[in-house]
Amino acid sequence: MLGALLYLRLTSLANLVLFRLRRLRQPKYLAGTAAAVAYFYYFVLRRASSAWGMSGSAMGVTPAAGATPLFIIVAIGFVLSALALVRIAFAWVSPAESPGFRFTEAEIAFLFPAPIPRKTLIHYRLLSAQVAILFTSALIALVFNRGGALGGHRVFRMLGWWIILSIFDLHVNGTKLTLSALRERSAHFLRWRVAAVTAIVLYAVAVCGSAFAVLSRFTDGGDFSSRTLDRATGTLLASPAFHWLSLPFRVIFGPYLARGTGEFLAALLPALVLFALHYAWVLNTQASFEEGSIALAEKRAAAKAAAVRGEFPGARAKPKPQSGPFPLRPVGPPEVAFLWKNLLSMRSVLFSRRVLLIFALLLVWLTVALGGLLSQLTAPGRGDVIAHLIVVFCCIIGGYTVVFGPQLARQDLRSDLQNADLLKTYPIEGWRLALGELLAPTVLLSVILWSVIFIAAAALGAGDPIEWLGPGRRITAAVCLALMAPFLCLIQLIVPNTIMVLFPSWYQASRSRAGGIEMFGQRMIFGLVQVLFTVLVVVPAGGWAVVVWVCTMHPLGQAGGVIVGSFSAIVILGAEAAVGLWWLGERFAAFDVSTEQR
Amino acid sequence: MIEVEGLTKRYGSFTAVEGLSFAVRPGEVLGLVGPNGAGKTTTLRSLAGIIPMSSGTVRVAGHDLARDPVAAKRELAFFPDEPRLFEYLTVRQHLTFVARVYGVADYEALSAPLLEELELADKADVLPGELSRGMKQKLVIACGLLHSPQVMFFDEPLTGLDPIGIRRMKDSIVRRARAGAAIVLSSHLLHLLEEVCTNVLILKTGHKVADGTLADVAAQFSHGEPNVSLEEVFMRATGGSES
Repeated sequence: MLGALLYLRLTSLANLVLFRLRRLRQPKYLAGTAAAVAYFYYFVLRRASSAWGMSGSAMGVTPAAGATPLFIIVAIGFVLSALALVRIAFAWVSPAESPGFRFTEAEIAFLFPAPIPRKTLIHYRLLSAQVAILFTSALIALVFNRGGALGGHRVFRMLGWWIILSIFDLHVNGTKLTLSALRERSAHFLRWRVAAVTAIVLYAVAVCGSAFAVLSRFTDGGDFSSRTLDRATGTLLASPAFHWLSLPFRVIFGPYLARGTGEFLAALLPALVLFALHYAWVLNTQASFEEGSIALAEKRAAAKAAAVRGEFPGARAKPKPQSGPFPLRPVGPPEVAFLWKNLLSMRSVLFSRRVLLIFALLLVWLTVALGGLLSQLTAPGRGDVIAHLIVVFCCIIGGYTVVFGPQLARQDLRSDLQNADLLKTYPIEGWRLALGELLAPTVLLSVILWSVIFIAAAALGAGDPIEWLGPGRRITAAVCLALMAPFLCLIQLIVPNTIMVLFPSWYQASRSRAGGIEMFGQRMIFGLVQVLFTVLVVVPAGGWAVVVWVCTMHPLGQAGGVIVGSFSAIVILGAEAAVGLWWLGERFAAFDVSTEQR
Repeated sequence: MIEVEGLTKRYGSFTAVEGLSFAVRPGEVLGLVGPNGAGKTTTLRSLAGIIPMSSGTVRVAGHDLARDPVAAKRELAFFPDEPRLFEYLTVRQHLTFVARVYGVADYEALSAPLLEELELADKADVLPGELSRGMKQKLVIACGLLHSPQVMFFDEPLTGLDPIGIRRMKDSIVRRARAGAAIVLSSHLLHLLEEVCTNVLILKTGHKVADGTLADVAAQFSHGEPNVSLEEVFMRATGGSES
């Protein structure tokens, strides 16, 4: 039976590789792959080779082997162990209602009703996970160990990571199954959990206590030099209490932290024994995993579908009915209906609990991180520094809004791709439909730009004002920039929407977290196109505005020149937006997603 | 009401539909049948203006779909087999949105009986995520009927409906046709065609195999045998195999 399942896994893998290779016949995938390969070569492989030296890279041996101080190696192990312990403790504190393994929906549909023993299914799942773990290990070893800071053989690093990730994966799964078994069979489920969490906490306290007792003897004098810390670490490792307490983690991290072949081989055997014990634990724990696996598969499928639709994976809680952003009359320009619809859906996304939580955490972090700096700057006589900081901050936010905002504010055609058939039956010209769909994100991005423009203008007047930039000129410039902002945002939004209509499967696939190397390259290409368009749009309008300003500043004065120059830029931006909307509308009218599916 | 001449749709070198010509007059219900991959959905999507035709002309209520798509689309409604709805709009907000798109000034007066008829009145403030598939289908129908279209295209209209929903859907199609609408529906359910359709068009590999009233088509393939069922007619017309 396992043979059939392995056939499924290996054939799927082989077909996936073949599919990806065949797809390279299409120029868009070939371009994506070429971009990604070039990136990996220049920024990862080449650097790794040069860092490790040509002869070293050929052999995979780091010339810097053994150069890393012992205390750093132990500190890395300590941090990783602490993170693992926190994760395991969390599993006991907040156990899943029904634990599950990562099966796809198709696997569940075919394998769960089939006459396959439970153990075989678990075998299959654990072996399947190994493919991903091996790939991840290779990637981590390649990317994060490229400088060879820890020394040792790069293959050992990879195997070390494989051991760590595999045992951790097995341990988490074993814990989940054990918890499920306890929930099903024990009347003292809560007591078991309390006992386990208490044991974990006591263990952590014991490890930290034993470490502190040894280390404090060396650092009490305030000597934190590398040599002292190395000596302290050596003593710590030799102390019987810490030696035995840290044994499980030393076994797991042993192969990874080994600094030579002998050390690695010596560390490998106990690690493999621990791996085998974990494997047996997961395999022999009698607990149901089917319901949890089904729920997990549905959740993953929903997240994937959301990502393909262009939404933040998991960013939305279950939507709730909301009142419209404004009363929508039944008669009038249809574009307003799309603005109304997209503002309504945008509100659900923007004000979801998850997004609000992220903003709250960000605020807390900013307060903590910048609080000290701000308190120094707000001292008497430092107002100009604050003002300049605000202006710089506003410029950064403004730049990001123009360049990256369109990638984030996606309540437009991109989020409506699944309803393309429906939209195309509406009796509306293509350009009007495109305009209607783009209005909501245009409004959002424009409001952000208006805010930063006026905050920056106000800040420039505070503290120590710039002499030649008086209030009149500041207000004139701010108003002119504010008038240009919606046109700029609209054009910037036309770019990703047009790309989506021209290359729907390419674009939507690139929104997904899944995908091969070509997807990575495609995302890079999209990013470059967006930046390139920003330049192409801004340069003619900005250049023309400067020419007009120079020509008119003498007869009309500085402010007059700025106003005329800005309006000429607005005319150019408006023309660019009109052409873009017309083009997008025409493309959308001719757009047939079924062509992409063939 | 619907006039189709030489409708052809190609995807690269593959021809999905070729040289299709037929007409549907007011009050007629045309059943589009054929094996899987015959080109039924492609035909319906071309007729509704969702995908551009490669060649041919389609006139909807007198408007050329290619030359004046906005006027043509104002007169038609398309009902897909899979209900597609806006995730964040409630049932009522869907109707408000559609009313603005089609410019239905008195939509509130129209939508109330529609919601009653489709048993959606008590779900008016609910999001699509909370509706069953059948309910979603009903909402799509309510949105499609709000602007009183003269031409309707149904793609597999009975998919996902319960027996009561099926009965109501059939009654609704017949009632709209009697009120003067021209209707085209595609379905694999031959009994639906026998009950609802006045005409039938059989497609195979993108080509028209037969077209006419049910009696005409039955006569064409019965070879003189009496009481030949539509199923038998279909099997003979298509050769009993997939496209």
